[in-house]
Amino acid sequence: MIKKTWKTNVLIACMLLPALILALGIILVPMINVFIQSFQDGSGNFSLEQYYFLFTDKLALQNLWYTVWITVVTVAGAITISYLLALYLRFSDSKISKVISTVYLLPRFVPHLVAIYAMMTVVRDSGFLNRLSQVFGYNFKPGLLYNAKGIIMMNLWFNIAFATMIIVAALAGIPDSIIESSRDVGAGRIYTFFKMVLPLSIKDVLVAMTFIFMSNISSFTTPYIIGPNHPKMFGVYLRDQFSKMRYERAAAVSVLIFAFSSISAIVYLYTNLKEKEWEKTGL
Amino acid sequence: MSGNAKLEIRDLTMLYKTGDGVRNINLAVEQGELVTLLGPSGCGKTTILRTIGGFLQAASGQILISGKDITHMLPEKRPTAMVFQSYNLWPHMTVYENMAFGLKLRKVPKSEQKRRIAEMLEMIKMSGYEKKYPGQMSGGQQQRIAIGRSLLLQPDVLLLDEPFSALDAKIRSQMREELRKIQTDLNITVVFVTHDQEEAMALSDRIVVMNKGSFEQVGPPQEIYNRPASRYVADFIGEMNFIPMPDGSIKAVRPENVSVSPGTGGNLDGYVRTIMMLGHYIEMTVDTDCGIVKLFVSAEEAEQYKRGNPVALTLGESHRYNDDQSAAG
Repeated sequence: MIKKTWKTNVLIACMLLPALILALGIILVPMINVFIQSFQDGSGNFSLEQYYFLFTDKLALQNLWYTVWITVVTVAGAITISYLLALYLRFSDSKISKVISTVYLLPRFVPHLVAIYAMMTVVRDSGFLNRLSQVFGYNFKPGLLYNAKGIIMMNLWFNIAFATMIIVAALAGIPDSIIESSRDVGAGRIYTFFKMVLPLSIKDVLVAMTFIFMSNISSFTTPYIIGPNHPKMFGVYLRDQFSKMRYERAAAVSVLIFAFSSISAIVYLYTNLKEKEWEKTGL
Repeated sequence: MSGNAKLEIRDLTMLYKTGDGVRNINLAVEQGELVTLLGPSGCGKTTILRTIGGFLQAASGQILISGKDITHMLPEKRPTAMVFQSYNLWPHMTVYENMAFGLKLRKVPKSEQKRRIAEMLEMIKMSGYEKKYPGQMSGGQQQRIAIGRSLLLQPDVLLLDEPFSALDAKIRSQMREELRKIQTDLNITVVFVTHDQEEAMALSDRIVVMNKGSFEQVGPPQEIYNRPASRYVADFIGEMNFIPMPDGSIKAVRPENVSVSPGTGGNLDGYVRTIMMLGHYIEMTVDTDCGIVKLFVSAEEAEQYKRGNPVALTLGESHRYNDDQSAAG
């Protein structure tokens, strides 16, 4: 290793400078600007009216809860389904599991817009499912578009692949002998799951949860295309305010989205930085 | 098979999808006996062990422990305990929690748990490690705890799957001795799997030499060593010279049963090929018309030989095998 002198420190700083300036310029400065702007009224004076509006206006509050609710349901749904799927992929060596393990990542490779429009042609009330049901003499209308169900379904479609990938990796890191020795001393399948598999994979589950939360609290494309006109998710609401040139209020909405993301970022950092006693190795 | 065997395997067949596995295995292990399944990797020894432990399902045949059929029991219901090659301990639990886990499941009272764990740690010389996590201990210490954890549950049969193979040589032989001592002290029945013939010789009451899914020979270590039933066993256990005979059979002689003198006129003549110092004795190889023959000589005796010297070999106790690998007498 090179011995650190003030000269190497300067060199390191110089090499980092371009990236640093870029990051400051396109992330930090706008962030600060937005933050300041959110505390202004229309004519540039300090004011809390934007936040006051967001937390008192009936429609704005509905948007806020709608956004949080959809995100929480998405996180819970995606994690539950992904965990079950990952367990199946880890512990079954059937042909079906092999096929699934090769194709489950495909949604990651489909562009958002393409996936949404593809889904629409299938589940629309006059879509493929409807046509198919008419062949058999029914008139089945899934009713999945322009409401929360549609957004959540689409979110699950995008996020299950991602969460499964992370959890599969976590479960693959648990050696068979750990599970077998638990069975060997007398623990059944369920008990082994709660005492061995879950504690040894929970950290990665939390990581997957924070990622899904962060990407969905600010989602725009999906709710914009298949969401309802009211209530709106915050991403769409933000654009609305922006296009109506209410920049201060748009800024306040951004700050709120950022605040929610920060909470989950803190959870992420906490679970990653905090090493449990057993994770510290070495004599 | 005797009726009072602790563990009895009757006509066991267990096949993988690939067609590999073990066929028609019969074995009886007495109470307090340590039987080793020995063979190269892929010979089926671990398959048998895992079938006894319940981690693999037998296609046919029976496994009995103390006369009770356990062939179709789940692993958690079997009166067996298994120690794996590595990653035995649960990394998120302390040594104490690891050891208490099985006792808790058996509803052993807390105070009793504490007493038994303390006793066991004392026996495996790991007292004071209660609060350590597996990641904070060496491989040898972890395996000690793993064996202790299994013994705590007082299994009818202890199954060990190459438990020392990931350890370095010195610790391995130390662990071997300790295991043997504990096993005889507690009079427990053990099935031990290894590919290391030296380990098998050192530990076992009886050795089962395996080859491609079936038993080649079963017997005490001395018998296996002194009277290998087939050329395969002769080759696998210890060192052996195979000398082709004019009648097509093969003569097998251990290096310690070959003696050497300078000049010619022995059972076999040749030239010194290598002289290798191996501690308190010398290993010599001799180039003969029938191939290379290995033998041992003392350090003083070796002084009179140099590479290329003509030597005469006298072959002592030997075995004969036909080409079909069975013993010819």
